[in-house]
Amino acid sequence: MGSMRQYYSAVVERNVVFEEIFHSEPYEVGWATELIIFVRSLDGAGDGAVEVEISPDGIRWCKEGTTFELPTATDAVTFGKVSHFGNWVRLSGRTKKKFKALITFSMKE
Amino acid sequence: MKNQLRTIDLRLNQFDPLDRILLFDDFNTGLSGWTELIGNYEHTLDSVLLPYQDHRPPQLSSISMWDTGTVGALNGTYSLKVATRAKKGHQAVNIKRITFRKKCKMRLEAFFTFKPEATKLTLSDQSVRSIGFLFDLQNENERVMPHIRYLNSLEGTLEQKWQYKKQRSPFRSIGTEGKTVSHYHLSPEGWEDIPGGKQKLCYNEIATKHNWHYLRLDFDLDQMKYYELQCNEKIMNLSDIGLMRIPAMPNLWNMLNLVFFTEADEDRRVFFYLDSVLLTCEE
Repeated sequence: MGSMRQYYSAVVERNVVFEEIFHSEPYEVGWATELIIFVRSLDGAGDGAVEVEISPDGIRWCKEGTTFELPTATDAVTFGKVSHFGNWVRLSGRTKKKFKALITFSMKE
Repeated sequence: MKNQLRTIDLRLNQFDPLDRILLFDDFNTGLSGWTELIGNYEHTLDSVLLPYQDHRPPQLSSISMWDTGTVGALNGTYSLKVATRAKKGHQAVNIKRITFRKKCKMRLEAFFTFKPEATKLTLSDQSVRSIGFLFDLQNENERVMPHIRYLNSLEGTLEQKWQYKKQRSPFRSIGTEGKTVSHYHLSPEGWEDIPGGKQKLCYNEIATKHNWHYLRLDFDLDQMKYYELQCNEKIMNLSDIGLMRIPAMPNLWNMLNLVFFTEADEDRRVFFYLDSVLLTCEE
């Protein structure tokens, strides 16, 4: 895509309340080689962890192996770093406490 | 001049451009300023009007299918993907924001295709409710919002017709400062049929086959009126078609926003792909 590496930030979930088991929307990241997924609490404390999932078709999902904790206070941010993910990524999580979140996919070529 | 443009960039040979390029995005080198439309808010995201809260981020798609692999774009690998959630009635809306420097006749051209997510092994030609586009324009006197959509299916019935919208939605105050308002111009109400606007597009049998379609709209920024809409070989005269018109607003001078959107007709993701978008104007 040119000599300067491309970057794009996608807010894949915004102002969404998560409780118990949840999944983010899938997102196509095939052009990128690096991805940082940020989870920011907009309201409340999560209690649990999320796992990165990858897919051959955007429909069927496998665990990629990366996991990280949910933010435990309003405005706190946690993140996970991923590379070598093919074309589709989503986040799958579990929380014991309901919280409202913003999930950002931060991608670089 | 048209031929000069085509010589400068051979990709333009697929189009019928006017004299000067205002934007030309082919999505093989990035999203070029396309982003998610969000409703206005003040102090908290909770103040965004409900239908505006979740219009989804644009994606650079290779259109990769479970059964046959990557479709790619008309040119190169990537296209702009406007993708809904798997929720009936959900709208995905992506936007690019520029300003105009001359009140000219302008021409929008694009190559597009649309499909539902290939989650079922059935025809699925009724899953996409609509694909469409709009401009959001403002001159010294008024804000004008040309809205056009192809209504593919409604409540499970194939419609296959082009529509426009001139009906306004009421403005609502946002927050407490008295400075922000919002209106849901993409509400489902008020769409009207374009005369002679019935058109059967090539759906092509199953959810994993994609055919690219040509789109053109001619619009006069000086007179603020439509000329023509073209899709593939069908040309529709829009000179008598009404527009959404609003008195000029405080901070939108010379605004030229272009929006593409899609709507799901069942609880299934639907995808509207743009291989390329070209906006040109007369000198």
